[in-house]
Amino acid sequence: MNPDVNLEEILKRIGSEDVPADVHQIAKETSESFGKTLMQTRQQKHPILGEHIMKSKITKLAAAAVIVVAVLAGLPFLGRNSSGVVLADVLERIEQIQAFMYRTKMTMTGAMMPGMPKEMEGMVTTSEGMVTVSNKYGVKVETTTVLKLSQEDQKEMTQQMYFLPDQKAMISLMPDQKKYIRIEYDDEMLANMKKQNNDPREMVKQIMRCEYTELGRSVIDGIEVEGFETTDPSFMAPMAKDIKMRLWVDVENRLPVRQELDIKVNEQMQMQGVVYDYQWDIQVDASDFEIPPDYTLLAEVEVPGMRDEGKTVQALRAFAEITDGRYPSSMTMMAIVQESGKVLKSMGIDKIKDPNQEETQKLMNKMMLLQAPYIFYTQLVQENKDPAYYGDRVKAEDADAVLMRWKVSDDQYRVIYGDLTAENVSAEQLAQLENPPSQ
Amino acid sequence: MKYSERVDMFKHVKERYIEFLSSVLWKLTGDRELFTEAFQYAMLGMWRHVEKLNGKKARAYIYRIALTANSTAWRNRIGRDGQISEDRISIQKEPQKAADDSELAHKVRQAIVELPARQSRAVVMRYFEQQNYGDIAEKLGCSEAGARSHVSKALATLKSKLVTLRKGVE
Repeated sequence: MNPDVNLEEILKRIGSEDVPADVHQIAKETSESFGKTLMQTRQQKHPILGEHIMKSKITKLAAAAVIVVAVLAGLPFLGRNSSGVVLADVLERIEQIQAFMYRTKMTMTGAMMPGMPKEMEGMVTTSEGMVTVSNKYGVKVETTTVLKLSQEDQKEMTQQMYFLPDQKAMISLMPDQKKYIRIEYDDEMLANMKKQNNDPREMVKQIMRCEYTELGRSVIDGIEVEGFETTDPSFMAPMAKDIKMRLWVDVENRLPVRQELDIKVNEQMQMQGVVYDYQWDIQVDASDFEIPPDYTLLAEVEVPGMRDEGKTVQALRAFAEITDGRYPSSMTMMAIVQESGKVLKSMGIDKIKDPNQEETQKLMNKMMLLQAPYIFYTQLVQENKDPAYYGDRVKAEDADAVLMRWKVSDDQYRVIYGDLTAENVSAEQLAQLENPPSQ
Repeated sequence: MKYSERVDMFKHVKERYIEFLSSVLWKLTGDRELFTEAFQYAMLGMWRHVEKLNGKKARAYIYRIALTANSTAWRNRIGRDGQISEDRISIQKEPQKAADDSELAHKVRQAIVELPARQSRAVVMRYFEQQNYGDIAEKLGCSEAGARSHVSKALATLKSKLVTLRKGVE
């Protein structure tokens, strides 16, 4: 292949590409939404997806992995339409700021972590965090979590996490052991991390693409603010559908002042939280984002790619092999966390009393693998690829039944069958596969 | 200008250029997620500079806005320092993948982001929008020879990048 020739050919071919119909639609919706927001006002926010910590060493490790999923998949990134103006003003203001801090408070009710006894389902977890965001160095999250199992029984744990874009990695420090886990991402995942990891800019965009209402003016800590509220299910889909998010923006400087979140993940788990005490334009340096020298590496894992069909199949296979041919019942975070927890438990993970580096490494690898289908599926949802998953009724023995499918082109779908073979089919064939004629 | 007038002007400009903007951004991104982000930035850019988008040079400004929006979207993906990481820009080791045109198209799109602003605008106008050098020169505010030079330099940079990459593969 001669690159001299090829380059011009490629450029010409790109130039001759027509804009696909769905891209036209994205443009139309985005511009309409932008125009609509011009008539309204402004807003912003940023995400916090609670950190969840358990008392055992193993579940602490699990927490790190779960957080990864939560952070990665909890919020749809730029997938569809949006924009705002005044909102644009807020966005513009934040984009000018190189470093800032804020505090978070979260209260979670209900059990989420794998392997938790039934009686813990009513437990309350409160978490207070301080987040430092630097465009240059990354994001640092320091969290203290109190797990209240009963009036008398409560545990406290401190955790630190660093998101380091330059290294394409997240570091989870375990202060009580002076160890850390390093979790690496591919470029695409990293890009999405940067977009959504506690970054108010992304939240501005996220709110803009949701339906929202104006709350009018109020005063918070002596600051005149203007409020916005969204209860749009798409705000946190597919993680949670029942959500209320309020954002209060300083009328004067057009920067966020406070954000309130009320999320019902499902019947078992609810979260309330507040993001507050923003400090804008702070001074940070590289040492603020460095792993303390007395910490040693406990495990190093890679997060499955967001479009990794192979890993998804591998994970489903691993799941089915241990569960008598069953697959995760649904592609929700709760189902994956809880059912993967059972799988890991059945593999004897809870029998490990004091995990060494090798065991931890294996454990983390398994946990990451089991999350692959969820990460993949979430990406499909966010890309509007019309995905569907039937793990609640399709087992490994249902060789020809559609377990999962998604759109790969205007008239083609990719299908993973119950026996985990995969092929592309037309929309018409898919309809027949999903609704076979009754016998 | 009153806010409401500005809004009306934006609406008018948006309706006029949405097809054109979509076309340019789709060719520059080739990826729905990137497109969406770039389009958002382009809307912002149009809003900020709406006063300039009503005159003769409107289309030239739209190009500039589109290219800037595209760069911002790509940089959000590839790093704030604007550097495209090696593993994204380098051609796959497997020869069959290296020959994959869509893979190369992706890399060319990424490389365009790294070109100087006028070169990237020139190459986009020339190859993506099939414009003649006279039109390109008018939009860039330079002579026709200058436009040719920008296109030529852009191609040379892009080619050298591809050649370098190929050497790495071989």
